[in-house]
Amino acid sequence: MARSTKLKILWLQSITCNGNTHSFFSHPNFMTLMQKFEVIYHPILDSKYSLDNVINKKLTCDILVLEGAFRETGMQKADREIYEIAKSYAKKAKHVITVGNCSTFGGVFRLYDPESIGGFCFNDETPNEAYKLFKRKLISLPGCPAHPRWIGNLLSMILSQRQILLDNFHRPIEVYGYSAHAGCPRNEYFEWKVDSKNYGHKEGCLFYEYGCQAPYTHANCNKILWNEVSSKTRVGTPCFGCTEPYFPKKDLWHTNTLMGIPATMPMDVPRRAYLTITGIAKSFSIKRLNEPIIKYKK
Amino acid sequence: MKVKYLIEKIEGEAELEFDFKNGLVDNVNIYFPFYRGIEEILKNRDAMDALVITPRVCGICNHAHLIASVRAIENGLNKAGINIDLTQKAISLREFTLSCEIVQSHFKWFYLVALPQLLNLDRMKCPDNYILKASWASTNIVKALAIFSGQWPHASYAVPGGVSCDPTYEDIIQAESLVDEVIRFVENELIGMNIDEYHKRKEISNIKGDMAIIFGMLDKHNMKAKGKSYDRFAVFGEHPIFQTGQYNKKYSNDIDFAHIDEHPQHNSKAKSVTYKDMCYEVGPLARAIMTKNDFMLNLHDKYKDSVLTRVYARLDETIKLLVHIKSLLANLNVKELSCTLANMPKALEADGVGMVEAARGSLIHQSIIKDGKIQKYNIITPTQWNLSSGTQKEAGIAAQAIKGSVSIEEATFIFRTFDVCSVCTTH
Repeated sequence: MARSTKLKILWLQSITCNGNTHSFFSHPNFMTLMQKFEVIYHPILDSKYSLDNVINKKLTCDILVLEGAFRETGMQKADREIYEIAKSYAKKAKHVITVGNCSTFGGVFRLYDPESIGGFCFNDETPNEAYKLFKRKLISLPGCPAHPRWIGNLLSMILSQRQILLDNFHRPIEVYGYSAHAGCPRNEYFEWKVDSKNYGHKEGCLFYEYGCQAPYTHANCNKILWNEVSSKTRVGTPCFGCTEPYFPKKDLWHTNTLMGIPATMPMDVPRRAYLTITGIAKSFSIKRLNEPIIKYKK
Repeated sequence: MKVKYLIEKIEGEAELEFDFKNGLVDNVNIYFPFYRGIEEILKNRDAMDALVITPRVCGICNHAHLIASVRAIENGLNKAGINIDLTQKAISLREFTLSCEIVQSHFKWFYLVALPQLLNLDRMKCPDNYILKASWASTNIVKALAIFSGQWPHASYAVPGGVSCDPTYEDIIQAESLVDEVIRFVENELIGMNIDEYHKRKEISNIKGDMAIIFGMLDKHNMKAKGKSYDRFAVFGEHPIFQTGQYNKKYSNDIDFAHIDEHPQHNSKAKSVTYKDMCYEVGPLARAIMTKNDFMLNLHDKYKDSVLTRVYARLDETIKLLVHIKSLLANLNVKELSCTLANMPKALEADGVGMVEAARGSLIHQSIIKDGKIQKYNIITPTQWNLSSGTQKEAGIAAQAIKGSVSIEEATFIFRTFDVCSVCTTH
């Protein structure tokens, strides 16, 4: 049999919940996509090598996918530090992809011990030692979890050698150049400053009271939708900012305010501009936006 | 002779340390190596933050953690005198989304774990077709889930007093069509007959499709009657198609959180759990036993808590849940309120317990809230019940089931019939 010329993927987990693995497995074309690659190791699929092989043999991979937060010591598999294993594969791989907020910034699990737990190349916003070694090949896909399409399309773009533009945190701009607010069906309520009154309604904006971080979160969730059908804000849950280095902030369901105005402004919007627009918008009361969209007959 | 074995692809890893005597497993110790400290992370955070943080315990049963978490808050509110009455709509939506997650997990267990592991015994590779089936079926059922929860994994749409979504009939129609698709998949692939015909089955041998393949393989490898443990079962979480209670030689519908104890284990980061000082099995088999349907009772009479009954219970539950969630959608009244609690009370003092049936069994969250902040949070996962090494008095459920195995391959398959989840076990 001819040697496979497919790009080799090695998917390695550290301190994780497996959320990215399961998110990606919900990709509608999962199998078609994976068949384009040779999967050296994967956490839930039957793969060519065992974890013991991955840890104790020197295998090679083209694309190293990392899931979960890292610590230099104290996270061992088969008696070896997984951080060291990740670094040794990262040195030889052509691409290093950190999937999820944990492997990118440290995420939820960093909170347990922020002194020693972080992302592979960033601790929150700060680049760490590994960043210097791997910045040339690093692509970050933060999110809790990363959207299946972000992972699938990035792998396909690497395969087809498309141009992949990255931001300061090495996130692909085609995905993270949007705000999670773009495409939210509650946008009209945001424009006219109509608050959500309670949970469980289609109407109202969640930015003012309920902690929604979509206007300053980099992600295209409301453009491409989750599981192809929905998003947090579409079902009345605030965006928790899970693609950002400060995720998860405290008081996730409450908006921090300064003099009654959200303390964090929408992406790149000057506070003065926001206050001016808000003042004008609030001086009008738009009847339609203060009524239910659908009034079912009894 | 002691043999160490790293077991992987179980939502993380575990280490099994076998003690062989005369060629049979005499004892096994189960070590889960890594603790992530979710309960510690929650300390001093706002009570509602648990709804976002606890799903991150587990990538495959995150939604069950959300529901346990919201039930714990609601139970605390009720005990604090703030009456929480959910509308039928909110109850049904939570049940729907939770059931979809269980179905998703069972599909993955069957096609990615159970069948490939048995094929390995014959030195055969898992065909791509099984991965395709697992992916197709789980993707479609979580799509139906996400219509209401916003996304899967890691939604937080269940809030104290109900749910945050406000679906239309059009949303419900879309979910119904996805459930229909998945039922069609079950009929064509999993059971090889239509559901009505399946309901008329008299024997396991009447079942066709992929389910027949697994029963054939269990037969071939002489495993049907293996994997017996203590034949004790517990169901804590309320769900309309499962009966809560416990079985230990006889049935009892009394079950009380107060009799649960957690015990630290040497060398493992996971605590073992007992009810009245005894180990109990939780999960699909426990739910099936407590529900007492004739087919299951006959099977149980013959095989007790063996590999065959455990495998059958998980697959049969998949079908039961799909039938159940169709009726939930058919009866959903969108005119009812989604959420009945206007606001969380300020400076809340509460102590509540939330119990839920997750894919692998009873999941329990306990939250103690002082001045609106989480003072203490405790999570007891289904896999802690099933997969501990045990207590000083007796071996754990899976450890007991593995005793007498003829090989590591057989022992690890029995272990996997409990549907292992490493990340939940330690959390």
